Amino acid sequence: MPDISKDILGKIKKKKLRPYPKQYFFLKRSVIWVVFSLSIFFGSIACAITLFQLRYAQWDLYKHLTHSLTEFVLLVIPFFWLTFLLGFTWLAYYYFRRTERGYQYTAIWVVLLSITLSIIIGGFLYSTGLSEKLEFAFQENLPFYKELQESKQKVWMSPEHGLLAGKIIKIISDQKMEIKDLKGSIWVIDIADSIWRGRLRPVKNLKIKILGKMLGQNQFKADEIRPWKRRRGSGKKKYLQRTEKKMKEKIPSNCISK
Amino acid sequence: MNDYKNMPDEQLVQLSLNNQDYFYYLMKRYEIKLLRYIKRLTTVSPEEAKDIIQEIFIKVYRNLNGFNPKLKFSSWIYRIAHNEIINQYRKTKLCSSIISLNIEDESNLIDAINDSIEIDGAYENLETAERVRKAIAKLPDKYREILVLRYLEDKSYEEISDILRKPPGTVATQINRAKASFKKIAWRHQLDKEIIK
Repeated sequence: MPDISKDILGKIKKKKLRPYPKQYFFLKRSVIWVVFSLSIFFGSIACAITLFQLRYAQWDLYKHLTHSLTEFVLLVIPFFWLTFLLGFTWLAYYYFRRTERGYQYTAIWVVLLSITLSIIIGGFLYSTGLSEKLEFAFQENLPFYKELQESKQKVWMSPEHGLLAGKIIKIISDQKMEIKDLKGSIWVIDIADSIWRGRLRPVKNLKIKILGKMLGQNQFKADEIRPWKRRRGSGKKKYLQRTEKKMKEKIPSNCISK
Repeated sequence: MNDYKNMPDEQLVQLSLNNQDYFYYLMKRYEIKLLRYIKRLTTVSPEEAKDIIQEIFIKVYRNLNGFNPKLKFSSWIYRIAHNEIINQYRKTKLCSSIISLNIEDESNLIDAINDSIEIDGAYENLETAERVRKAIAKLPDKYREILVLRYLEDKSYEEISDILRKPPGTVATQINRAKASFKKIAWRHQLDKEIIK
């Protein structure tokens, strides 16, 4: 019987084969850990923006949309970033399994670990304000992202449910103004008893969202007026507390979010 | 030569890194085992088996620096062999529906899983052995390879976990499922009257 091992050793010598250097394996292992870490990091960013969007979602609109839960869910759940979070979680799992001992852990363990890490790091990034900066940067630089976020605002085109949005075109008096809604119709808005969120003041060409009541054909009574876009770095907690306090003082209890 | 026979694999790996000739002793140690493993998982001819084992040993040699001493060398070399067999399978589809377990293999396998699935050893007659062989061949690949590793290659759960790169819990589950699956197929092949109590 021929000595197979001897033949193979002969071939190794003939072809002058040498073992791959240690650095090659070090590099390979490092790349896997780097990609795993990056996946966790990007998952954390997705998580941070998800937290930001959830925190500032318009939860109080729920009472205006009771007839359509789906619409409300689509409005407040940041599916875009949740999809990214899941994608990066999968990537993290894929590369963790390729680490030297990664295969010893079950998929569920790795996925939970990855999501937990993303939530912890994402929470930290959110607390530093990075998620807010990124959200605005994406909206300013990525047209499709801006469009996606703005499409969520279409919910504000339901005056019969007390929601209206548009641009101020005329200040008639300190109690009345005219706006052009998102579809181009002109509305006369009663602003006598309305509160203006944040530092908003009635100014021509200002884009706003109005919570209130439809009075009749193209006539609307505003209870609360919000900016079209949340102002960047507008003091989050204090801002919300202040607005809530004002709302309790000035508007009927059925308009205050719980 | 006798000195090398008693030397641990890990030490031979270190020596092979400095001198190719030591790799011969490592190959010699695993040549028969791996050839048998290839035959148990594939339908290749002896010539093709030699080609596969050559690929395996060359890969082992080239990757010697990547061997993690925390693993058993035998698990590591079986992992490379397993991957190479899968690669060859993808290239040439060399695993057909009938695998080349010999009568001795079959009896070992039946003996080994006898306790848990209550199959006795009454497979001496060739007709029954042929049915056993067909039953084993009908097992899905993942069950067949895990039964081969556990009962024919005599690997522990930990070693199988390292070879197949699967969590130990998954290995245990798959072995149980493989045994259950084997039992089901055996019933279908009317082995019940002859070998299943």
